[in-house]
Amino acid sequence: MLDLIREHDLLQTRRQLFGKTALGVGTAALSGLMGDAAAAGEPALSSGTHHPAKAKRVIYLFMSGGPSHLDLWDYKPKLVDMFNQQLPDDVRGGQRVTGMTANQRNGLPLCPSKYRFTKRANNADGVWVSELLPYTAKVVDELCVVRSTFTEAINHDPAITYIQTGSQIPGRPSLGAWLSYGLGSLNKNLPHYVVMHARTRHPEQSLFNRLWGPGFLSSEHQGILMRSQGDPVLYLSNPQGVTRQDRRAQLDALAALNQQQHQRFADPEILSRIQQHEMAYRMQMSVPELMDLSTESDSTFELYGDDAKTPGTFAACCLNARRLAERGVRNIQIFHRGWDAHGGLPREHGSQCKDIDQACAALITDLKQRGMLDDTLVVWGGEFGRTAYCQGNLTRDNYGRDHHPRCFTTWMAGGGIKAGITYGHTDDFGYNIAHPDGTPMSPQPDKGSWTPGTMHIHDLNATVLHLLGIDHRKLTYRYQGRDFRLTDVHGHVIDDIVA
Amino acid sequence: MNRPLACLACLLFFVRPLAAAGDDPPDFSREVLPILSDKCFVCHGPDAAELGEDMRRLDSFAAAHEATETGRAIDAKAPHQSLILQRVFSADDPMPPEDADKQLSDAEKGILKRWIEGGGNYAKHWAFVPPVKTALPAGSDNPIDAFIKVRLQQRRLDFAPRADRPTLARRVALLLTGLPPEPEQLQQYLGDNSPGAYARLVEQLLDSPRFGEHQARYWLDAVRYGDTHGLHLDNRRGIYPYRDWVVRAFNRNLPLDDFITWQLAGDLLPDATVEQKLATGFVRLNPSTSEGGAIPAEFQAKNNFDRTETLGTVLLGVSMTCARCHTHKYDPITHADYYGLLAFFNSTAESPMDGNKYEYGPTLRVPSDQRAWEQWAALMQQGDDLVRSSVDALKSQQKPPVADNTAAMLRWLAADDSPFAGTATQQQALALGDQLEALTQQFTTTLVAQELPKPRVTRVLHRGEYTSPTGEALTPAVLPVMGSLPNAAPSNRLGLARWLTSREHPTVSRVLINRIWQRTLGYGLVRTPEDFGVQGQQPTHPELLDWLAVELQDSNWDLQHMLRLMVHSRTFQQSSAWRSDVDDPENRLYARATSYRMDAEMIRDMGLWASSLLDPTMGGEGVKPYQPSGMWLAMAHPASNTKKYERDSGQRLYRRSLYVYWKRTSPHPMMTLFDAPDRESSCVRRSRTNTSLQSLGLLNETQRIEMSRKLAERLLQDETDDNRRIDRLFLKLACRVATDVERQVCEKLLGAMRQRFGDEPDAARQLLSTGESPTNEKLSIVEVAAWSQVVTAVMASDAAIVVY
Repeated sequence: MLDLIREHDLLQTRRQLFGKTALGVGTAALSGLMGDAAAAGEPALSSGTHHPAKAKRVIYLFMSGGPSHLDLWDYKPKLVDMFNQQLPDDVRGGQRVTGMTANQRNGLPLCPSKYRFTKRANNADGVWVSELLPYTAKVVDELCVVRSTFTEAINHDPAITYIQTGSQIPGRPSLGAWLSYGLGSLNKNLPHYVVMHARTRHPEQSLFNRLWGPGFLSSEHQGILMRSQGDPVLYLSNPQGVTRQDRRAQLDALAALNQQQHQRFADPEILSRIQQHEMAYRMQMSVPELMDLSTESDSTFELYGDDAKTPGTFAACCLNARRLAERGVRNIQIFHRGWDAHGGLPREHGSQCKDIDQACAALITDLKQRGMLDDTLVVWGGEFGRTAYCQGNLTRDNYGRDHHPRCFTTWMAGGGIKAGITYGHTDDFGYNIAHPDGTPMSPQPDKGSWTPGTMHIHDLNATVLHLLGIDHRKLTYRYQGRDFRLTDVHGHVIDDIVA
Repeated sequence: MNRPLACLACLLFFVRPLAAAGDDPPDFSREVLPILSDKCFVCHGPDAAELGEDMRRLDSFAAAHEATETGRAIDAKAPHQSLILQRVFSADDPMPPEDADKQLSDAEKGILKRWIEGGGNYAKHWAFVPPVKTALPAGSDNPIDAFIKVRLQQRRLDFAPRADRPTLARRVALLLTGLPPEPEQLQQYLGDNSPGAYARLVEQLLDSPRFGEHQARYWLDAVRYGDTHGLHLDNRRGIYPYRDWVVRAFNRNLPLDDFITWQLAGDLLPDATVEQKLATGFVRLNPSTSEGGAIPAEFQAKNNFDRTETLGTVLLGVSMTCARCHTHKYDPITHADYYGLLAFFNSTAESPMDGNKYEYGPTLRVPSDQRAWEQWAALMQQGDDLVRSSVDALKSQQKPPVADNTAAMLRWLAADDSPFAGTATQQQALALGDQLEALTQQFTTTLVAQELPKPRVTRVLHRGEYTSPTGEALTPAVLPVMGSLPNAAPSNRLGLARWLTSREHPTVSRVLINRIWQRTLGYGLVRTPEDFGVQGQQPTHPELLDWLAVELQDSNWDLQHMLRLMVHSRTFQQSSAWRSDVDDPENRLYARATSYRMDAEMIRDMGLWASSLLDPTMGGEGVKPYQPSGMWLAMAHPASNTKKYERDSGQRLYRRSLYVYWKRTSPHPMMTLFDAPDRESSCVRRSRTNTSLQSLGLLNETQRIEMSRKLAERLLQDETDDNRRIDRLFLKLACRVATDVERQVCEKLLGAMRQRFGDEPDAARQLLSTGESPTNEKLSIVEVAAWSQVVTAVMASDAAIVVY
């Protein structure tokens, strides 16, 4: 019963959170159990949320390690003439520097990007894109490129924990877990929150369960890993020698045994477990069907590239993401590691961009062609950006960059996002967020104030929740006497980028 | 809708009745304070000043009754003029403001009105007042039952009937040892109709080494024990001797006050023993990092935040986290209080960065597993005896050197110029010394706490920023709301421990006993075991909680005594079947026992035990059973020394789950699937979910397939016919024989599987090839395969995985 009570509590919570119309798996599970099949099923887009949702689902492409905004999106031509000059102190403005470059022999020498940028037309003033992203450059009229994302954390573990859970110290629920808690599931045959790890040639930096973990929320809200090695979902396959018919016979026996326990103890949790055994059986069909790409057309593979035929590549993950989205999974995250280019950035970022560029563009195009982009939010970004100064030896063609929290680029597309715009500016160094004229500003992530033109990671999370119909201030969970939320006491929805 | 479902529907929408309304002033602590806290303190609480100088505080009598230019928040003489009431009932300018997230209900307004009309008196929040024993209600042998009965009788209810004896035996064995009773134990108990039969079973279980292993698990969740550092590389950390010490401490029934003191400050005790020092591993359990570029001062602060806040959750039962950045919004804990408490931890000697090292010093060398501990203890005993008798014999003639350890004394006895040269004593000393030396060579290291010679300076950190220390240097100080440092207690971790374990401490004994109750009865008396503060839930049975808390202290902090009290209560021994006459889905009345799905570890251990695979070896480095390949590699840093999961083989595959290697960023999937926490932060209450992924794990995981095969073999070997085999299967897993329905279900499945594998023996061969343990070649593969499928189903069924 614990489960049902919780489900009921959850529903009550969600009714309080969202008003009387809350629907979702909670209601579905309850009504299913009570023999009222009519109430089960997919909730309407706008029901069960604080306000009408603009997006029905989210696909989050997480670039772990910190992609260089300076080499991909944030064009800084003036740096070319400042090659190897020291970063002026007034630009740094007391910003702390990591232990890796704080005392390096060559100081903080400025490092222009070696890459050619081209201005691409979008629906506003156009956007500069690096030659590292030729495919993505072709879909910029669908993207909202935010150059003024920022954070406080300067090291990977705290920074990635921060952007994914709203806190630098482990223990809080992840963004995905909050969404699961708030929205429930659209789907009865697949996990509702799916996480994929895409292959990279540079697996620097680690990932942690906590990034898709439930924190103090019930553990049913944790992300489910969809793997490219072995069973796509853990323990999905029957043991060798056991067929689907065998399993059916076994599950029938199991259900009969459990029914009997229920008759003896009347514990409603037993019924809930019977249902879960049945869902597992359905999942054994639906997941392989999902992973079977043989039904995809040649044109799809042309779009995503041949990489998509190799399980575990970023391209394959993107294609899977679209297939998951089609099947009603509303919460999909792909983690791609290897963006932590302290040295040899051109080589590493070159290979990283090859991994992702075509697939990112393909995903946008594919969703659009299928009419799904309108209600699918796509987010691309990492935990921080990279420094304007070089780490290690600096040449025109080879350099490294350290971690940079003060500004970095994130893009969003699809459900509820203004298409084809840029948002926010940085100074001539790509070091500070700036006014349109290039004067630096130093925004604080304060609950009271928000600086227009900036997007703190709490603002990013608030905006993601907003687009999915959730008021980030109202989605709370009481733990240790406090009503916790993803954005803590911070976060502002960036209305300027909402369509 | 059939009947059970109709009944379910009414249970689901059962509403807790409101507190009786009337004209009497409401109870401040139980009725008023929760409203003020939840709806008002966010602005008018302890940290009101941060919102503006004129922000009125409502968390103290003095502030609320104070006369100001605009009036009094509470005017006891003219209640209707009280600003609270004027504003709360104001249509134009209401409080809380119209745009506030939390509004007052009419019932809550009514309570505030009655409170103010009754004088607007304040009282301390119940949990901050030290517990006292109230007089026992009459009419019951067991104090627990007496308190439970009072509330049952208020609802005109009685206890549920007793659980049948097999169910009770299984329940109490699983509770105390995490495993079902041994078959002989069960038979003995069921065959013994004398009055002391149950008590004898309980004592056997308390005496079992499995007891400490099972009890340790809960503590390890709370203190976030892991075998890796947790952050960044998540490298190996050598601290498992701490885990093994926790097991020994429970098996030895170490009083819980000592249990706490050793962990916080064993190194500061006079003449600290190896075990006392080892126990301070507790202080070192925080996740740590050595990420390139990380700033040491930042992690010195973060490590201490973690320790302070974990202490809050595990022992104090309050959330400290708010006060890291500012004065607590709800509980009377100031920003400075937080850093005063933190100062106790700020002078330990380890570097703030772990260096990615297994031996993240300071470390201590200790025996490496339970067997080595026993050998070492025996040798030390022999050594001490020999030293003592030799020194005694010598007393009159010559003064022995003063050496503080046995090994040094043995060396002295064995020396060529020893007064015992040429005697049997010298030979014995030599032999013992050599043996000790050999054993010491095999010692492992474990992280411990050590005090710096000169304490670090602690200051309040403005907004919790390590870069913004402000104010005077702080001396370590306990939380004023929970009393003061006992007389003569030093101002260090030892003093902290003395405070926590003093009789005057209001929360520690309550918090501990609540968690013991929670694992015994399924739910805590306080349903928020992590929070006894103003925002936490009220206890369902306040007098019982306090009685038990004081009894824990009175009994010299005797865990086994407390468990005995609980398991001998009628409350515990009731049937867990749901009652149609009681609307209480959360079992707040305890009008039945609570049935619950077992924890991850219990599910795995029971399977290993039932299939005779369980290896009883205790202690040592974490073991690595089967795990789907590539799970760690897909997430790990290339420089991490835990990037590859190198699975164990042989007996280490079959150790109790307590010993399964705990990589904090990726614990074993069969643990996380069944709600185990990641051990990166404290967990004092696991969630208990039912998911489809659990079903897949139960039916398809390698180790479970292997268990099914081995148990099938045993059934075929040990029993002569299908009927008896089915009974044996249920006896093992459910402590009872199969019902007719269960028997039919199993026979039907067995028949189908015999047919299936008979038709296709290759499939049987494939199925039986899973898992490392050898197959019994003498048995028919078709039979073993068919039976293994029956076993899998029963072992995954609720008869097996639920405690009733």
